[in-house]
Amino acid sequence: MTAFIIRRLCYMVPIVFGVLLVTFVLFTVVGGDISQQIAGKNADAQTIAEIRHEYGFDKPLFWSLDSQFTDHFKKAFTFDFGRAMDREQISEKILRGVGPSLMLTGPMFLGELIAAISLALIIAFVRGTVWDVTAVVICVAGMSIPYLSFIIFGQYFFAYKLDWFPIIYLPEEPMIKSVGLPILIGIIAGLGAELRFYRTVMLDEIRNDYVRTAFAKGLSARRVLFKHVLKNAMIPIITSVVLALPTLILGSFLLERFFGIPGLGYLMIEAIGSRDFFIINAMTFIFSLLIVIFTLLTDICYVLVDPRISFK
Amino acid sequence: MVLRHILRTKIQTMDPGNLRDLYSNMVVSQIYETLYTYHFLKRPYEVIPVLAEEPPRISADGLTYTIRIKKGVRFQNDQCFPGGKGRELKASDFVYAIKRIANAKYASQNWAPLNGRIVGLDEFREYTKGFKKEWDVDYNKSVEGLRALDDYTLQIELISPWPQIVEIILSDTCTAPVPQEAVDFYRQDIIRHPVGTGPFKLKKWQQSCFIELVRNADWRGELYPSEGEPSDRENGFLDDAGKPVPFADRIIWRIIEEDQPAWLMLMRGYADALAIPKDNFDRAVSAERKATQEMTDRGIELKTFNDPSTFWIGFNLKDPVLGKNLPLRKALCRAVDRQRFIDLFFNGRDEIAHGFVCPGLDSYDPNIAQCGYSRYDLAEARQLLREAERTYGGPIPKLTVAMPGTDTFYRQFGQFLQRQYEQVGITLAVDYMDWPTYMERLNKGQCQMFSSGVSAGCPDAIDFLDMFTTRNFAPGGNKFFYSNPAYDALYEKTRVMPASPQRMELYRKLERMALEDYPAVFLNHRVAYTLNHAWYKNYKPHVFSYGLSKYRRVDVELRQQYPELLKKLEREGK
Repeated sequence: MTAFIIRRLCYMVPIVFGVLLVTFVLFTVVGGDISQQIAGKNADAQTIAEIRHEYGFDKPLFWSLDSQFTDHFKKAFTFDFGRAMDREQISEKILRGVGPSLMLTGPMFLGELIAAISLALIIAFVRGTVWDVTAVVICVAGMSIPYLSFIIFGQYFFAYKLDWFPIIYLPEEPMIKSVGLPILIGIIAGLGAELRFYRTVMLDEIRNDYVRTAFAKGLSARRVLFKHVLKNAMIPIITSVVLALPTLILGSFLLERFFGIPGLGYLMIEAIGSRDFFIINAMTFIFSLLIVIFTLLTDICYVLVDPRISFK
Repeated sequence: MVLRHILRTKIQTMDPGNLRDLYSNMVVSQIYETLYTYHFLKRPYEVIPVLAEEPPRISADGLTYTIRIKKGVRFQNDQCFPGGKGRELKASDFVYAIKRIANAKYASQNWAPLNGRIVGLDEFREYTKGFKKEWDVDYNKSVEGLRALDDYTLQIELISPWPQIVEIILSDTCTAPVPQEAVDFYRQDIIRHPVGTGPFKLKKWQQSCFIELVRNADWRGELYPSEGEPSDRENGFLDDAGKPVPFADRIIWRIIEEDQPAWLMLMRGYADALAIPKDNFDRAVSAERKATQEMTDRGIELKTFNDPSTFWIGFNLKDPVLGKNLPLRKALCRAVDRQRFIDLFFNGRDEIAHGFVCPGLDSYDPNIAQCGYSRYDLAEARQLLREAERTYGGPIPKLTVAMPGTDTFYRQFGQFLQRQYEQVGITLAVDYMDWPTYMERLNKGQCQMFSSGVSAGCPDAIDFLDMFTTRNFAPGGNKFFYSNPAYDALYEKTRVMPASPQRMELYRKLERMALEDYPAVFLNHRVAYTLNHAWYKNYKPHVFSYGLSKYRRVDVELRQQYPELLKKLEREGK
């Protein structure tokens, strides 16, 4: 297992290097010099030059020990991403945003996962009946409605009309009060796709011989579904769950923006809007690093839950 | 008492020295104060002292300004001071504030208006270039034209007369005193640790969502104005005359960038006032430009006012096609239906720009429309185009307009212009680009035509007139590369004149001189429409001053009754 992990960690090096290269080319070479934007509309050439110097835009792009590319590398590996365009430390911004994002996406993800898997098992069990067809139709309808519509309707109806939730994040109140509605909206909006996916997974499993055998032996439906079928359906579930975990940290772009939740999704949207490449760069790097790490974790989990898979 | 405001975008900084945007100003001006400001109620706008004791004493040659500073003004308590106790404001704090803007390493956005103005300040800027960091600079180095004669007297010596210095610099948040102790203590983090002399101080700033200010208990105090416009008494703006301000204990700004939540916050009564989002305009404003019944039922009031600004499609006069072809530029001006543009993009609320000096400025010419510079006349445009083709020596090639954005607004705006020019046989390409690319190309004179605009920072139109001077070619404000020796000569004569009826006439003459050369298709002047709840008192629009929250008051009882009112309206099906 150790050898496997070391081997996989070695694979990560070129991947992370590639990501750094791509982000550098995208945001520095193609994105261009944003000194003028930072300096303001009426800035003179000297002010722009100072800002270029402050942010290191006056350094050579690649071919020097002190180039913009080496700075890019240094920042990534020390996790000291420097200052954003508003001159605040990017690492502080990111650390501040992780909590609110996880408060939103954590319960949303868990709620959606538990609801989707439980319902999928039940629907798979009653496959071919009117309940199954109804559930599929509702899922497809839910998937067809844009995410934004769920947000706009949910905010208008539950927060404004019924006044059950705050319209927007209230920093003076406990966080849970502000994230209740976005969590609910997130679960409902995402349930259709998740349910359809897990229904297919469960149907694949439920048609196997061992399920018929288990029923023939007189096991209860609950025991068959939740002990045998669910266990054997773990591989696709793990793939989907573990790879979704990094995205939880990144938050939810639309929900955070509409409900004013100061998480990383909102930070990213703002950074894109204001062309703050320093933040976009840092977030892209962190995200890619998390994806690589969680992919490794997924592979380890496969071995732990499925005896047919080994580290060799 | 709490004021509940909405900001439509996050603010970048709370450091006045490097602050230029409206939203940051709205917050920071409650914490920091300036030497002068504009009277809250009087119109036309009148400059009054804040931290200054009195109006400046100006030497006969208009070159030396001597300003007495109020005694007993203290900075708010902060850990940057010994023992955490704020010290007294001194004249040297203003010297420091201006030198700091001049510090090249500070890279302030506010240097441009000070460039070449104060004796010795440009040399000080040169001196700062030798340092590595902003805070390495020795601010004790003297600047000949910027001195604290004693603790309470500031003297500014100008290179040439600058009659607008009080409005442009000394009333602007950029020169609000920031204690050097705070800058040395917080360094780059001064952007998040304001230490001012104003009526409020920062309690909490959660970037991108929430700002909370609380009353500065050590503030020296002030009384609500007792004079204003004749209509102010009738409109209730003088009900609190003579009472001590601020009325509010706290101010909360929620930063809400999306329209729907901002609108719902107002309608639920969680926000005191809001500029009407475009999509909610018809719900809030009737065809007669009054508040709709729905708003009136909720006790929501409508206020409209000129937000002094001008927007245009500029011509690059260095361009070989446009630069030497006046009939073509005139044709381009005649072919745009500005009213249609305003109806389509701004719910019909803006005003047609007949010139570039906007309503609300002292020298705005109410008769400018009669000159016909913005006349929409397709027949004349076609005739002018034929003339333009003769001048050019053949058919006019495809023209290109640069748009400083790629979002839906700019896409639709670009399509609108294409359709307008198609009507007269002009082919227009639209080049959508991001802001930095746009600015870079504009400053290098690489945009043939460009969409742009400007907002006024003070009631004097000098900044608008400055946009057409040869000495101010891009990267300065003259992005048109307009050059007219007669205009330059008259401008130089006018810019050093103190305000007078003669100067106003010359301002108007300058405007018409530039307009005769058709340097742009001037499109619209913004008109702001805002809603406020009836409980939000003393909400008189003011376009040049932002530190007004101290005058705002909330009728708490009326606000508390609002949920009941909503329930009643719901029962009645309204």
